[in-house]
Amino acid sequence: MLPILQSEWFKLRKAKIVSVLFTGPLAGFLLGFTIHGDVPEGVNPWHILLLFMNVIYALLFLPLMTGVLAGLICRYEHQAGGWKQLLTLPVTRGKVFTGKYIILMALVLFIQLLYLGAVYGVGWAKGFTEPFPLEIVWKSIFGGWIASFPLVALQLWMSILFKNFAAPLAVNAVFTLPAILAVQSERFGPYYPWGQPFLMMYIGGGDGVFFVPWEQLLLVVGGSFLVFFLGGYIYFQRKAV
Amino acid sequence: MEFIIETSGLTKKFGKDTAVSGLNMKVPKGEVYGFLGPNGAGKTTTIRMLLGLMKPTSGTIHIFQKDLQKERISILKRVGSLVEQPSYYPHLTGYENLEAIRKILGVPEKRIAAVLELVGLSDAAHKKVKGYSLGMKQRLGIAASLLHDPELLILDEPTNGLDPSGMKEVRNLLKRLAEEEGKTIVISSHLLSEIDQVATTVGVLLKGKLIFQDSIAAMRKQAQQKIKLRVSDGEEAWRTLLSRGMKVDFKEGAVFLENASDEKAAEAVAVLVENGFAVYRVEEQKSSLEEIFLQMTKGERDK
Ligand SMILES: Nc1ncnc2c1ncn2[C@@H]1O[C@H](COP(=O)(O)OP(=O)(O)OP(=O)(O)O)[C@@H](O)[C@H]1O
Ligand SMILES: [Mg+2]
Repeated sequence: MLPILQSEWFKLRKAKIVSVLFTGPLAGFLLGFTIHGDVPEGVNPWHILLLFMNVIYALLFLPLMTGVLAGLICRYEHQAGGWKQLLTLPVTRGKVFTGKYIILMALVLFIQLLYLGAVYGVGWAKGFTEPFPLEIVWKSIFGGWIASFPLVALQLWMSILFKNFAAPLAVNAVFTLPAILAVQSERFGPYYPWGQPFLMMYIGGGDGVFFVPWEQLLLVVGGSFLVFFLGGYIYFQRKAV
Repeated sequence: MEFIIETSGLTKKFGKDTAVSGLNMKVPKGEVYGFLGPNGAGKTTTIRMLLGLMKPTSGTIHIFQKDLQKERISILKRVGSLVEQPSYYPHLTGYENLEAIRKILGVPEKRIAAVLELVGLSDAAHKKVKGYSLGMKQRLGIAASLLHDPELLILDEPTNGLDPSGMKEVRNLLKRLAEEEGKTIVISSHLLSEIDQVATTVGVLLKGKLIFQDSIAAMRKQAQQKIKLRVSDGEEAWRTLLSRGMKVDFKEGAVFLENASDEKAAEAVAVLVENGFAVYRVEEQKSSLEEIFLQMTKGERDK
C-alpha cells in the first residue's frame, strides 16, 4: 500500500493543488475578518466568529474543494491512458482506489487544520482577549473531517466515472448549493451528504463527543460512507480500461 | 516446449459482437512472437485480456504457467507492457512519469536514467510529456515497460508513430533483449514488414480468430513458389499451356507457373519448346512474406 500512496502523492503534488488547499480556509478568513457584529454580553466572541465562518466554509467551500481535489486525483489518469498504465502494474484495483481515497482524506484533514489556523488568525487580528475555546474548535474541526468521509467517497466515485474533468465538478456544485436549505430541515438535513460537514461543524449542536448525536453519526455518516465507498470501489473493480 | 503465454479458448464478446474468438495462443519462451492482424482483428482486445485490464467472456490465460485470474499480481511483476496509444501523465516530465511508476515497482532510481538512455530520451527527460512528439511518447512508453527489467514484454504496436530510424532502433533493441537477455516478447502489428526482421514466431489474427501460428520459417515455407517464364509470344504460350491443363497465369508479358515442382517446370518447358516457342528465361519467384500475409488475410476475408 505504501508504494501506491507514495506514487499517488508524487503525481498529485505536481498537479497544482496548493491553491485548491488554501481556497476554503482563505475564504473563511476573509469573511471572518470583514464581518463586524456586536457580540452580546457574556458570549464568547470566538463562538460567534466560528458560526459565521462555518457558513461560508463548511457549507460552500469545503464540499466544493473536496470535489475539485477528487477531480484532480483522477484527471491525470483519464487524460492520456493513465488508468491503463497504472493497472498493468502489479497493483490491485482495490488498493488503487483506497490509495486515492486515503490521500484525499489526508488532504481534507490538512485543509481543516488550515481552517483552524484561519479561525485563530482572525481572532488574533481582531484582538480577542477571551480564551480560545480549544475543545469546541477541535470538535468542529474533527467533526467536519469525519463528516466529509462519505462526501469524498462519493466525489471520488463520480470522478472515476466521468472522463471529463468538469462534469463531476458541475454535479458537485449543483448538489452543494441546496445544502444551505437542506441543513435547515431536521428530517432531511442529516441525510444530505453535502450538508453533513456543516452540521458536524456547527457548534450550536449537542454536547456529546461531536456536535451531532452518536446514533446519527454512526447511522447517517457511517452508513452513507459505506454505501458510497463500496459503490465506488465496486464500480472501479468492474470498469473496463 | 515451455510456453510463457498459453491461452485456451480465449473469447471476448462486446454485446453481440465477438471481438476475439476461441484463441489458443502459445508463446514459446525466449521467442519474439509477432502478433499480426489487420485493423480491428482483435489484437488490442487480446492484449488487454492478457494484462488483466479486461475480463475474458470465456477461456483461460496462463502466463509463466500461472493462472492469470488467480495470480495476476505476481505475474504482472514480471511483465512489461505497452497498450495501444502511448499512456502517460501529461503534467509530469518524462523522468517524473517513470518515477511515478518506479515508486510502485520498487526498483532502484538509477533504472530511470538507464531506460531513458536505452530509448534515446535522455535529452528530453526533464521536459513535460505533453510537449513530446508522438514518437517520443512512444519511446517513453517503451522505457516504462522496461523499468523493472521484465522477463516478458507485451507491446501493442510499439513502433506506431516512430520514424523509420526510430522503428529500426526499436527493432534492434527488441532483438537484443531477446537474443542477449533471453526475454520473451510479444509484439503486435498490422504490418508483417514491421516485424519480420525480429519475429521468430508468428500468430496471425483475423476477425478474432487465430488463423496461423507457427515459426516464421514455417510461414516462409507457405510461400507459394512460382516459376516465371519469359518466352516469345507469351500470350500464345500461356494458351498452349492452359490447353494442356496446367495452372498458369499471364502477367506483364510473362507466363507464371503456379506451385511448380521440378517435374512440372520441366514439362512446361518441354511443351513450349516442342511448340516452337523460344524460352528466354526460367526464374523462380518467391512471394514475399508480406504477400503471404496478405494472401492469408485476404483469402479468409473473401470466404
Ligand atoms: N470497448 C469496446 N467496446 C466495443 N467494441 C470494442 C471495444 N474494444 C474493441 N472493440 C471491437 O473489437 C474489435 C477488435 O478491436 P481491437 O482494438 O482489438 O482490434 P486491433 O486488432 O487492435 O485493431 P488495430 O490494428 O486497429 O489496433 C473491433 O471490431 C472493435 O470495434
Ligand atoms: Mg489495436
